[in-house]
Amino acid sequence: MEFKLEAHRIVSISLGKIYSARGQRGGLKLHKNLLVSLVLRSARQVYLSEPGCPPEPPPAAAGHPEEEPPPCPAAWAAEEPPPPPPQDEAGRDCQGPRPRRCCCGENRGGCAGAPPPPHCPRKRSAGERGQAGSPVKKPRREEEEPPPLPPPPPPSPPGEQEDMETGNVASLISIFGSSFSGLLSKEPKGRRRPPLDGGEAAAGTAPAEAAAEPGQICCDEPVLRTLNPWSTAIVAF
Amino acid sequence: MAGAGGGNDIQWCFSQVKGAVDDDVAEADIISTVEFNHSGELLATGDKGGRVVIFQQEQENKTQSHSRGEYNVYSTFQSHEPEFDYLKSLEIEEKINKIRWLPQKNAAQFLLSTNDKTIKLWKISERDKRPEGYNLKEEDGRYRDPTTVTTLRVPVFRPMDLMVEASPRRIFANAHTYHINSISINSDYETYLSADDLRINLWHLEITDRSFNIVDIKPANMEELTEVITAAEFHPNSCSTFVYSSSKGTIRLCDMRASALCDRHSKLFEEPEDPSNRSFFSEIISSISDVKFSHSGRYMMTRDYLSVKIWDLNMENRPVETYQVHEYLRSKLCSLYENDCIFDKFECCWNGSDSIVMTGSYNNFFRMFDRNSKRDITLEASRENNKPRTVLKPRKVCASGKRKKDEISVDSLDFNKKILHTAWHPKENIIAVATTNNLYIFQDKMN
Repeated sequence: MEFKLEAHRIVSISLGKIYSARGQRGGLKLHKNLLVSLVLRSARQVYLSEPGCPPEPPPAAAGHPEEEPPPCPAAWAAEEPPPPPPQDEAGRDCQGPRPRRCCCGENRGGCAGAPPPPHCPRKRSAGERGQAGSPVKKPRREEEEPPPLPPPPPPSPPGEQEDMETGNVASLISIFGSSFSGLLSKEPKGRRRPPLDGGEAAAGTAPAEAAAEPGQICCDEPVLRTLNPWSTAIVAF
Repeated sequence: MAGAGGGNDIQWCFSQVKGAVDDDVAEADIISTVEFNHSGELLATGDKGGRVVIFQQEQENKTQSHSRGEYNVYSTFQSHEPEFDYLKSLEIEEKINKIRWLPQKNAAQFLLSTNDKTIKLWKISERDKRPEGYNLKEEDGRYRDPTTVTTLRVPVFRPMDLMVEASPRRIFANAHTYHINSISINSDYETYLSADDLRINLWHLEITDRSFNIVDIKPANMEELTEVITAAEFHPNSCSTFVYSSSKGTIRLCDMRASALCDRHSKLFEEPEDPSNRSFFSEIISSISDVKFSHSGRYMMTRDYLSVKIWDLNMENRPVETYQVHEYLRSKLCSLYENDCIFDKFECCWNGSDSIVMTGSYNNFFRMFDRNSKRDITLEASRENNKPRTVLKPRKVCASGKRKKDEISVDSLDFNKKILHTAWHPKENIIAVATTNNLYIFQDKMN
């Protein structure tokens, strides 16, 4: 249990670092961000693999896939099982041979993307537009080839969002940790509007969003059974 | 263990300290690199503000036989300015990442300095004479009316106050997409390498409009990126051999004669990880922050977060010596991760005879390891010991348990006071140790 607490803390610290790295002078530090992503992945593995995984999301979460926009229902279902034990995740992954990859691992345009996309349109209008300036663009520009942009998050009825949050957390972690690109392609919200390829997971932004209020993540009671810290962070952002 | 010091009991004494006394450190003054030239007469520092300051050692005073010459400011110049990459909307920091001296060929001195993107070759020359007695110009530069010239004279050189001028002779730009972490001059003194996170380029000192890419570890798909290049250096004697270290704790030795692109290493140096030390941060602390060949070329030294390792180039599967710099930090890795200290990149250096190695730590401590006697010492760079010829007192950190008198507990270490950059005079026992914004010079006690 202690490992899980520490893992949880490390995950939130790591997300905070990635988020704050975006505004750094001199551009994204590849080395440091790579190391942070490795720590994040290790912590995620511990977090997910230990018994007492994230608690069951409310049953409504299971109904999400159907309510998800059509483009990627099957994939979404794959990522949204109530408590997702890692082995099941691997089995049910929409990509099959590529466990833990976001449903948008390949170029699946229009895919729903990472868990919090439903939040994004709302959040985007709130905060991101103001961030459309250069600091937000830095991480993306650092790439030699532009990473494929995540698809635009489809708007979803507000009523669903609460339900989605809890189930989203485990997927958030699994999706985010699946590859380094999850970090590099963290698109500033303002850039996600035009989908070029559906390639990258919108998970890139998800951790950024979750990390937007790192203080909240860390300060809230770190009891993993309650997903309040996560959902609070996501909603607040 | 903690004795009077390494190698024949060197007694280190404070000699000088350079820099502001303020506790409030201006960011531009943070020292980012320190390097002696090949004779040791000149000592260069680079800072975050893009400036280079060169100190020159005074000629030894025959009457003052108890101390070697002091280092005084010789030249100061702005090497790099902040730039803006409009295409990528990125600011390019002016911080000097590395300085490397060229061997002296004539009266002038040459050094390479680099920031994240651009390398510059600087010529530092002295002027102590100036021509006087022009026919058509007044002394202040105004032109004379030719009709007023009635006699002609030959201008002569007259002595003037010494002026040291630095001028950029070459600018090597636009060859690196990622941040440059190392430059290293080849033993042929004609070429040099520059390394960024994913690529290493080979330059000729005379040619600025092109360079050869000799190592490229960028994966086709950036998603598959697992390691980056952290440091690179040419072998001191073999002009076709160089090494580069990685964030995974490996060192690759490459031979440029094998192929144009040295993606396949000739040797891979790697020590298997100790499974009992595995933690979330194992990967971070195994990342190598510096690699330095010994002067002999037989060994190389690597610095990772907690230790210094000496490798024999003939043995790839493990280092021949390992020295723990601050093992007491192993249980604090989570906090050090939180406050970003775990990402600090410590450098290391050899003494002139390759018998002692030195590296920095926190709380303005620095450590020396004597390879022969296996003794080590911890010293502190602090203005409190600032009487010249005061012998430095060895320091000790108490890892746990009862703290003895004069020991410092791990929890009271100041992690904002870090010594990342140190340099050892190539011939003498003179060391330069950089704290955040001060440069300390220590010498051994001469009797």
